[in-house]
Amino acid sequence: MTAATVAPDRPVTRRAAKGVHRHRSGHGATVLVAALAAAFGTGLLGVIDLVATSVGADPALSGVEAVRFMLTVFATIFIGIAVYVAGVVTVNTVATIVAGRTREIALARLLGATAASRRALLAREGLGAGALGGVIGVAIATGLIWAGTRIAVDGGLLDDLPYSAFSPLAIGLVVIVALVTWLSSWVGAKRVLEVSPIAALGAAVPADVDQVRSRGGRRAFAIVMLAVGAAMLGLGVAMGFYHPAGLLIAFFGGLASFTGLVAGSVFVIPPVLRVVGMLWGRVAAVRLGAANAIRSPERSARASIGLVIGVTLITTLFVASATFGEMLEIKALETFGSTEPVEGVLEQLMLIFGVLIGYSSVIAAVGLVNSLTVGVLQRTREFGLLRALGFSRAQVRATVIAEAATMTVTSLALGLGLGVFYGWAGANSLFWGELGELHAPVVPIWLIVGVVGVGALITFVGSLVPAIRASRLEPVVALAVAA
Amino acid sequence: MIGARPIPSVEDMQNLPSDLGLVARAVNLSKRYGTTGAEVIALQDVSVGIRRGEFTAIMGPSGSGKSTLMHIMAGLDTPTAGRVWIGDREITGLSDSELTLIRRREVGFIFQAFNLVPTLDVAQNIRFPFDLGGRKPTLEEEAWIDEIVGRLGLIQRLRHRPSELSGGQQQRVAIARALAARPALIFADEPTGNLDSKTGREVLALLELAVREFGQSIAMVTRDPVAAASADRVIFLADGRIVADRPRSTAAEIAATMLDLEAVQR
Repeated sequence: MTAATVAPDRPVTRRAAKGVHRHRSGHGATVLVAALAAAFGTGLLGVIDLVATSVGADPALSGVEAVRFMLTVFATIFIGIAVYVAGVVTVNTVATIVAGRTREIALARLLGATAASRRALLAREGLGAGALGGVIGVAIATGLIWAGTRIAVDGGLLDDLPYSAFSPLAIGLVVIVALVTWLSSWVGAKRVLEVSPIAALGAAVPADVDQVRSRGGRRAFAIVMLAVGAAMLGLGVAMGFYHPAGLLIAFFGGLASFTGLVAGSVFVIPPVLRVVGMLWGRVAAVRLGAANAIRSPERSARASIGLVIGVTLITTLFVASATFGEMLEIKALETFGSTEPVEGVLEQLMLIFGVLIGYSSVIAAVGLVNSLTVGVLQRTREFGLLRALGFSRAQVRATVIAEAATMTVTSLALGLGLGVFYGWAGANSLFWGELGELHAPVVPIWLIVGVVGVGALITFVGSLVPAIRASRLEPVVALAVAA
Repeated sequence: MIGARPIPSVEDMQNLPSDLGLVARAVNLSKRYGTTGAEVIALQDVSVGIRRGEFTAIMGPSGSGKSTLMHIMAGLDTPTAGRVWIGDREITGLSDSELTLIRRREVGFIFQAFNLVPTLDVAQNIRFPFDLGGRKPTLEEEAWIDEIVGRLGLIQRLRHRPSELSGGQQQRVAIARALAARPALIFADEPTGNLDSKTGREVLALLELAVREFGQSIAMVTRDPVAAASADRVIFLADGRIVADRPRSTAAEIAATMLDLEAVQR
């Protein structure tokens, strides 16, 4: 026999390894999320600038600077929400990267690198990705505002004034986004500390299914915040019978309870995922998908919480305003005999707020889609096993879609439920004294339609790439990965 | 070549594999990877029959083509040329979904590692082949599963997840799963490769037990002469060809044959 005919035992290994390496960096989502947050902030500040310059040119109007300052403060709240959600998303993105690089990190540890240095490395990568994303976001938003201004001026919608498309505040924004991404990457890279050097040898079977580690302090904080928040909400609503200031108490109650929920998401979300997963039935493929959604409770909780925050805020806003609007109409009917004086008062303002808050849901959705996609790609080998044991391509797709649907439905259901409750509490704590009775929450039908539509879209986008990739896997190739 | 099986005659090919006492059969199997010029030949004109109710070991040095042979005979990979039967059904040229059903119903697998679905507990992993077909095991099958679980000493572990089990325990569960659906043939790919020698011997004893007491046919790919010594028959591959076919042998005899093969290669 000549050496030329000697065949490798697993000729596919190299091909498979290349596929893994293409996803090695994994910071794409980090850059995108940072860019989305920075673009949002730049856009908001730019529009305020534009309005102030445009209005300030009118000599008849005074106090423009004061209004501008107020608007900027207001905008800061929305930018803060967006950056916060971006941070939550990045923590998860980086945790996902760590899971994908376990072997690589283990090898570095084996050769003498400290865990802390590996963690710092990931945080530095995050800083770089955050700065890059921040600059890209600011550049794109500045360009869009400049172009929009030109078009408006040419169309005669705006006076031809020396508008500055670039706000100096944008530099601060890039710095903040980069720092938040740095911090989030450091938090997300915590798992590096648990990677054992032995994992590089391939002898240890990775713990594919995580247990929630007991975190007494966090749990206690979450419970206290939830309890205090719920009590304040109740108090606020009760006080609303006597005075509209009940809203203020209810607001802080809402803030406290929601903080408790976010802090305790690791304990709150997995049980909901489990319940939602049961809805899909007992078919093997779908049941596996639902189980995959909770295999790593912490990652799933963090992947979902961003969307929960976004949907809760939007729902709270719209349910509160719809409920309040209806209460106002009832009162107007009693007082004036007509609803006309109060019609449409809140709609426009709420729409603007809705768009501003809704933006963080976009960032959250990016995080969820990333988490689903990367999570499935990291499980190539498992899908190879399933295919070898007789899983059809359709069953593989069903598994992936069930996982995406479980995560999405859980986030949206939690967000909707909380939002309806908060919105109801908000409207009633302000106004039920005027009516003399508590008013049931009003949930606009288009809100439900919108949330269901967005949910379907996220599930579709989130499962599209992984479902195709997973179902096209040749079982031999998949089994050879990292063999 | 030392004692290679003769290439089957034309009359032979007209017999059903079962008439020949075979549970799986490959005829004139070839497998090439890569494009012309940079071609790698994994299998060259291999013909082999796996006999029913026997424990067959497929031995060979790294790169001999033994894993490729197993993958093709199990419907995990397709040959460049040649034909394959599992039972009396020819599987060459079947579509992906037909091959999927063959793997689900006719074949059991035991891999070196990562055998189990991590999100399912032991009981669910063992019943997985039934779940895939969307059916519950019958009363008779349930009794069979209970018997296997008892014999493999898994009763205390039924509610455990794979990550809570040792490597040897995981292999036991994989064996139980492979036996549960009573496939025509179980393929085991280096089933002891990740285990210490004591645990490895226990796993081999269980495979022997499955053949002896349950009449299960098993084909095991291995590089370990000790593992191959548990088998009723040892087929040796080198450079993509079958170079020897021996009845039950001692580990020493198998190791000697392997050394001869290595010497021939150099």
